[in-house]
Amino acid sequence: MDDKRTRFEALVLPHLDAAHRLARWLCRSPSDADDIVQEAFMRAYRAFEGLRGADARPWLLAIVRNCHLSALAERQRRAHEPLTEEHEAEPALAARLPDPESASIERDERRLLGRLIAALPEEQREVLLLREMEDMSYREIAAVAEVPIGTVMSRLARARSALKALWPEAEGEPRAVR
Amino acid sequence: MQCAESLRVQAAFDGELDAVSAAAVERHAEHCPECRALLAHLGRSRARVRRDLDYAAASPELRTRIARMLDAEQVAERRAAQPRPAWRARPFWLGTLTGAGAALAASLAAVLLVPLLPGSLPDELIGAHLRSLESGQLTGVVSTDRHTVKPWFAGRADVSPVVADFAGEGYRLAGGRVDELDRQRSAVLVYEHGAHVINVFTFMPGSKPLPAQVSRRGYHIACWRGGDLGYCAVSDAGWDELGGLRSLLQDLAARDTR
Repeated sequence: MDDKRTRFEALVLPHLDAAHRLARWLCRSPSDADDIVQEAFMRAYRAFEGLRGADARPWLLAIVRNCHLSALAERQRRAHEPLTEEHEAEPALAARLPDPESASIERDERRLLGRLIAALPEEQREVLLLREMEDMSYREIAAVAEVPIGTVMSRLARARSALKALWPEAEGEPRAVR
Repeated sequence: MQCAESLRVQAAFDGELDAVSAAAVERHAEHCPECRALLAHLGRSRARVRRDLDYAAASPELRTRIARMLDAEQVAERRAAQPRPAWRARPFWLGTLTGAGAALAASLAAVLLVPLLPGSLPDELIGAHLRSLESGQLTGVVSTDRHTVKPWFAGRADVSPVVADFAGEGYRLAGGRVDELDRQRSAVLVYEHGAHVINVFTFMPGSKPLPAQVSRRGYHIACWRGGDLGYCAVSDAGWDELGGLRSLLQDLAARDTR
């Protein structure tokens, strides 16, 4: 009887985990992530008739990203705070990489990876996630992030370059890359 | 100090190049140590990210929240699609009023008449069920512990219901609240069954007939009696699911009076 909900649950709900992963990566707080995902699903349901047979995943993830950005804007408006996440934070990145001492202490490789990725500027973090975890094409990523494909490629390259710190003594790769 | 081909190498790695360009990149990498190292790094980091970096899947709580949100959206859609009540449906004396006076009287009537003229029991039950879903205020007390929920009703509701969590049987007790029903303060137990919310209203029906099973607007209502108490379970879950909860509550009530 309720055709819209049935179709929505068949097409959009399967991407709940992907939506949740993206929200977690973007906002880094589990409870905020849940709020963002719920808001995104509400917007998605309301806009569902506009999907018209297109692939639901990039469409949904773009909505998740927009919900994250509006939640962020709302928080900043309330706190009267300037953006804390600078878009060109590259120089500071090297300073945040673990030095060899603490890297050797860092037994847990997962923690190191998590820290490196958390230290990435958000715009790099999201393209890396969409590429490696969601296995999306450059074109799909460009649609979600609302940037040209060339920008996707350069952000991806920078994000991946930051991961070189995973292998501090990699042969032939000097560590202090800028 | 980066090879000019690095972005193309990355694109080849990501499967974004056609076969000819990919082959050209491969040939280039044979002679360019920097791009060979880059390819090795890309492969290692992808494996590492895919192995180590995965946040937990969406929690069951989040799934339930989304199911509830969709319930509320559907309610709102149905309401918006419903035609306004016909003129004749208004009380007869409104027919003598016109214009602003009628609008004022109608709004007053809405305020004054609703509590005095309760609808049928199924309508009241559906109304209370939908309000609880829409407002997001499913529970006045949130607990899966019957020793918390049962005392909470004392002094708040006119009846003292049997309370138990049946999570083992698939019916998780989410909490309780008090709703006006049949001009009484009815005790409502809120259960979650999969993505469905089931409200169980307990009240004193007196000699009022209780419908065993009735459907309204896509929702199901199952009622039964136990002693002088009446129970009505309301949900969009199927009859079998409602029946399962009814059996559990009936067994519990039977044990309770022994």
